Amino acid sequence: MMSASHTPEETKAALHNVVTEMYDKIVKGEPPTMTLPVRTKNNIGFDTKLGVYKYGKKRSIRDATSLGSAKQLLRALHVVEFIEEMIDARKSSTLREMYYISEGWGLGKFSSQNESNNLAEDLEVVTKCMREDFKLRPEEDGARIIGNLTLRELNRRGEWMRINARDDVGDSGYGVPYNVEEEKIELVEHDLNFIMAIETGGMFDRLIENGFDEAYKCGLVHLKGQPARSTRRILKRMSEEWDLPVVVFLDGDPWSFRIFASIAYGAIKTAHISEYLATPTATYLGITADDIEAYDLPNDDLSARDVEALKAELSDPRFADAWWQEQINMMLELGKKAEQQSLAKYGLDFVTDTYLPEKLAELGLA
Amino acid sequence: MAGTAERMAQNQKQVAISEFFEKNKHFLGFDSLVRSLITAVKEAVDNSLDACEEARILPDIRVKVTKIDDKKDIIELQTEDNGPGIPKRSIEKVFGQLLFGSRFHAIRQSRGQQGIGITGVVMYSQLTTGRKTHVRSKIATETSAAVVDIGLDTRKNKATKTNEDREIWELPDGSLKEHGLEITCRMKAKYQRGRQSVYQYLRMTSIVNPHADITFEDPDGEIHHWPRVTERLPRKVESIKPHPHGIHLGTLQRMCTEATDNRMTSFLYKNFSGVSTRAAKELLEAAEIDEKAKPKSMKPEQYRALLEAFMGERLLNGKAVKLLNPPTNCLSPIEELLIKKGLSKTIDSRFVTTMTRSPTVTQGNPFQVEVGLIFGEGMAADKPVEVLRFANRVPLMYQQGGCLLTKAIESVDWRQYGLDQAGGRGVPKGPAAILVHLASTNVQFTSEAKEALADNEEVLDEVRKAMLEMGRGLRKHLEKKKKMAKTQEKFELVNDIIPAIAAKSASILGRPVPDLAGSITKIMGAVIAESETVWNKETKQTDVTITLFNYTSRARAYTLLAAWPEKDGAVMEGNANGGRKEATGVWAWKLDTLEPGQTFVLSYSLSGLEKGDWTDTDVFYRGSQEVIGATKMDEKLLEEIRRQESVLADEDDEAAAEEAEDEDDLEDGEDDVKNTVAEEAAENDDPKPTGQQTLMGYGSDA
Ligand SMILES: Nc1ncnc2c1ncn2[C@@H]1O[C@H](COP(=O)(O)OP(=O)(O)OP(=O)(O)O)[C@@H](O)[C@H]1O
Ligand SMILES: [Mg+2]
Repeated sequence: MMSASHTPEETKAALHNVVTEMYDKIVKGEPPTMTLPVRTKNNIGFDTKLGVYKYGKKRSIRDATSLGSAKQLLRALHVVEFIEEMIDARKSSTLREMYYISEGWGLGKFSSQNESNNLAEDLEVVTKCMREDFKLRPEEDGARIIGNLTLRELNRRGEWMRINARDDVGDSGYGVPYNVEEEKIELVEHDLNFIMAIETGGMFDRLIENGFDEAYKCGLVHLKGQPARSTRRILKRMSEEWDLPVVVFLDGDPWSFRIFASIAYGAIKTAHISEYLATPTATYLGITADDIEAYDLPNDDLSARDVEALKAELSDPRFADAWWQEQINMMLELGKKAEQQSLAKYGLDFVTDTYLPEKLAELGLA
Repeated sequence: MAGTAERMAQNQKQVAISEFFEKNKHFLGFDSLVRSLITAVKEAVDNSLDACEEARILPDIRVKVTKIDDKKDIIELQTEDNGPGIPKRSIEKVFGQLLFGSRFHAIRQSRGQQGIGITGVVMYSQLTTGRKTHVRSKIATETSAAVVDIGLDTRKNKATKTNEDREIWELPDGSLKEHGLEITCRMKAKYQRGRQSVYQYLRMTSIVNPHADITFEDPDGEIHHWPRVTERLPRKVESIKPHPHGIHLGTLQRMCTEATDNRMTSFLYKNFSGVSTRAAKELLEAAEIDEKAKPKSMKPEQYRALLEAFMGERLLNGKAVKLLNPPTNCLSPIEELLIKKGLSKTIDSRFVTTMTRSPTVTQGNPFQVEVGLIFGEGMAADKPVEVLRFANRVPLMYQQGGCLLTKAIESVDWRQYGLDQAGGRGVPKGPAAILVHLASTNVQFTSEAKEALADNEEVLDEVRKAMLEMGRGLRKHLEKKKKMAKTQEKFELVNDIIPAIAAKSASILGRPVPDLAGSITKIMGAVIAESETVWNKETKQTDVTITLFNYTSRARAYTLLAAWPEKDGAVMEGNANGGRKEATGVWAWKLDTLEPGQTFVLSYSLSGLEKGDWTDTDVFYRGSQEVIGATKMDEKLLEEIRRQESVLADEDDEAAAEEAEDEDDLEDGEDDVKNTVAEEAAENDDPKPTGQQTLMGYGSDA
């Protein structure tokens, strides 16, 4: 298993490179700059070696000739300084805390939380470090897991705890922490045929109530919408270390397609670390565009934003294969989308008795 | 124009007052309870303003509206002015007799031109509440004030006087009132707020009467005060004789029968404006009337023939008889600077542009258009702009849609000037108010309600032109604002952010703080001008500072020019950098070469202005490299301004010459030099100056 972490010295050196670029430009009598990969779908490409989508060669230069980008550079310097202080003091902070700390940075203060999150990502991308190296924690909480699998987690008192995600947890399941690297989590054993990732809490609870995890020997993971990094990371680890298939069960709309792409191929915003986060073997189970018709599901009309998103996906390299192109075009033609919970039209057991068995059978998993 | 009122007065003799009122209430302005109150305020306030203007007094006007009985809609109205007052013996006539106006037949611009004036208010009060109107009048030559209650005997249609007395008029501060008039009356009426309200009427009145101080106490006891913003009284208006182009058959007949002249030539020459002795002869020749004919013995077909000659329908030698335009000094425009002040006092905003067009003539009637536009904070951005319409300084508050002035606004595509306007039509939307004032000796309304101006090509054209000019000014302002924001950003960038980046990067890397000059020059790559115009409380002057920064890597040479309110009587002081006058209102300084990184500061003060008169200085430059924060001088425009100035100066000379010769005109009786000169001037192909070319409002591509 490859490791994502860098030593404090490596991290600091990488950050200093960013600072040196700015400093040297000023010495040369030029406007200071920061060079970073372009982070849009136009600059991601499939890395055949890693099997995931990564940033390509396009670089953008942020130079201090406009007030906006100059402030960005100044903020980056404050963040670098802040990270160094945390590394030296063996502390960590959440991105949100950093946002509030920036109140004291005068001209370098952030004007929104989004801005500070983006800048942290920028620095990851430029330095090839992870935000864990920067001692920055996300606010987002990770997924919940239920199923017959066992792992060990290092708790706050520095003791390893053995947890079975069926027997040792309550109804809400095992809560995935923000750090799921080996120094924190160890995957021990399982008695499963596959892992199923689920978009909504309502569906996750339905499957548990219906005893689906037991009946089909599967591990259920609640994604909570767009999955956090740690959720994607633990899915990848389970898939690789236990060699388990991962199936993804989402709503049938353009945004769910994106969630799937971020799980299977890598998210555009985190393409610099796709090899740690993406699970290329994951399969999209449903709701598919043809399910809407085949199961005659209650549906909603696509909004203008939905249509726009679908069209953007048509030119997204991650959806370039024939199956996805067909699904996207079909949804555009139908002009409809459907939620996974719309299956309840046929009763509460329909999803576990009919829909999922049929879909899993297509994949040879049931 | 007098027709309606005359007709009304005649009718009034036969019918009872109440019936008369009932029949005519819509155009008397008493057709609804809300409007009745506004009309009453309007009659009283218009009279106060007129009286003060005539007596050359700066008006102090107080209006108080009190709710007496909310359920029955009984309201008490009290107005007070500091005008000349009315002598005791005239009070009865003014308040109890219809059409007792002093201005009634005169042709000139005045507020009240027809209607039934203050007597209508007395009538309305009497009819709706049975109450008499209490009048208190003090004239300067008497020690005490005359008081009297005026009512109307509805059976005899006559004024009644009761409780006549004299009293000492003491003011709240204990002093004695020198002169003025106070009216107190009770009527059935409703007070309401909003676009059609007493408040709005007074607010609008204060805008176009910047010389008046108006206080309004509303029924809630709240006091609204619109202070006087200028000590200058409106120009005294002169009466003029009618112009042949605007005359009707009936009027011509009446003038002839009432004439004391022996011959038609002198009758035409003396009783009409725009008619020289030569033109008088030519008109008669065209109409085939003997020059020596007596006005009193004109025959009906001769009236018609003369009228046709007036209108150019009867030709002389294949040409219409050439008439001079009527004089325009009978108009009293508010004038740009005062409109600006008036608008600024009622609406809080940053940008105001105003324009007074030169007077022109339509159908023999002189008229003049004035417009103002105020833009900025404090006004709703997503609502139609507020349209403030005025005719002869009287606010028009009803029938906005059907009014010529509104149509002129709607005919402009405001989108190109930075306002929203669906489809480029209709009243534009945006945080702005547009003022239009028509001053004319003969304001044509669409109906007798006198709330909307009737269509008229020439007036529409004038208003439209003024709007376009203001629109250009607005666009310039918005562009300038954008540019200034950009410049401001650049300054923040090089003064604050870049030094911070240098210091922080140096401290993280543990290296010395690098020199910034190179980076800054690269980032700015521009020459930047900043101007500051501030009112100096101590010296009572407007201090102007213009700073020029050379943030390029080469030495630069410029001539800087600044606009200043020379026309408004400002005097430039403490201008240590010398320079010279380029045109009226434009000063120029040739600067020494500015080295890279160098800054030049230029300053001067303007005296002779009041606070708020001049708040922003436009800076222009001559030189090859662009100056951010200044406009490249448009030499052609400067040329045009100079040309207009010289033409205007020549015209003034001509006008003076004309006046001088006026005296001996009549004796002579022969073709006189004056008219030949004037007519030649009229034929001159030289384009007439419009008098409205301004540096900032000019052209889209400047
Ligand atoms: N506040 C006042 N102070 C002095 N004189 C006044 C005042 N109000 C009215 N007058 C005199 O009384 C006259 C009659 O006023 P009135 O309002 O009846 O008619 P008007 O103002 O001439 O015309 P209109 O009918 O259009 O109002 C005025 O022309 C003026 O001479
Ligand atoms: Mg009047």
